[in-house]
Amino acid sequence: MIRFLKVTGDSLAPEYLAGDFVLTVKIPCISFKVRVGDIVVFEHPLHGTLIKRVQSIDSIKGTAIVLGANESSIDSRNFGPIRLSSFTGKVIYHFPRPR
Amino acid sequence: MYNIIAKLDSLVRFDHAKAHCDVPCGIYDPSTAQIAALTVVRMVDLMNDLEGQTPQKKVDFHNSMSRYIAVKEEHAEKAKREIRVIWGDYIKAQHLEKFPQLNGIVHSIMQFGSTSRQTADRESAVKFVDAINEFADIFWQTKSIATKKAQAPYAPALEMVYPDL
Repeated sequence: MIRFLKVTGDSLAPEYLAGDFVLTVKIPCISFKVRVGDIVVFEHPLHGTLIKRVQSIDSIKGTAIVLGANESSIDSRNFGPIRLSSFTGKVIYHFPRPR
Repeated sequence: MYNIIAKLDSLVRFDHAKAHCDVPCGIYDPSTAQIAALTVVRMVDLMNDLEGQTPQKKVDFHNSMSRYIAVKEEHAEKAKREIRVIWGDYIKAQHLEKFPQLNGIVHSIMQFGSTSRQTADRESAVKFVDAINEFADIFWQTKSIATKKAQAPYAPALEMVYPDL
């Protein structure tokens, strides 16, 4: 299943900025396995739908470290590893707003 | 393509994916540092002007001179702090890869800023402004925003780098 999302916030700046759109594909999907470096969307119980980059994956524990691109980002540095099962999508296309 | 997606969004309202920060980040602008550095040059000019004058009373001379020095001190430090914040919080590894000269420019800014505090040397103060302009030019490039050079519309009317919005 594919899904359009609008990016808010600038924790992935300068690559992704508020107002950009992304096209995501639902995970798991045979053709779209999550890899280190992917931009993923996931649900967090406190922060809602978040978009971050996968920094590392622990296949045995079924978790991943996800980070934003700057120090102020709310990410695994704050809330720790994320369960792979919480991933709801992987970005397959990025539509940056005109810069 | 972006415009088509944006139009679609206005009709169906896509869900949001938050690239969340703990503070309202993304608000970085080197203009504060540029104005502070210009102020340093202005104070040096005023100090030199004052020295060339014959004061009515010695106390007035000292009063004005100490005020100029205090403002020079304050703004040199302010400019340095503003640059340190942008360099430390905004500049990332990918920026340094693209602009490998950036660390050297920041170091120069710190050095010229210190010299501007320690002395009343106009040349150092102007170099302070120039280095910050160089930093500003790169900063705006990291945001894909073009820059232009124009004379500051106030004394000391040095050539400055501005975002061409």
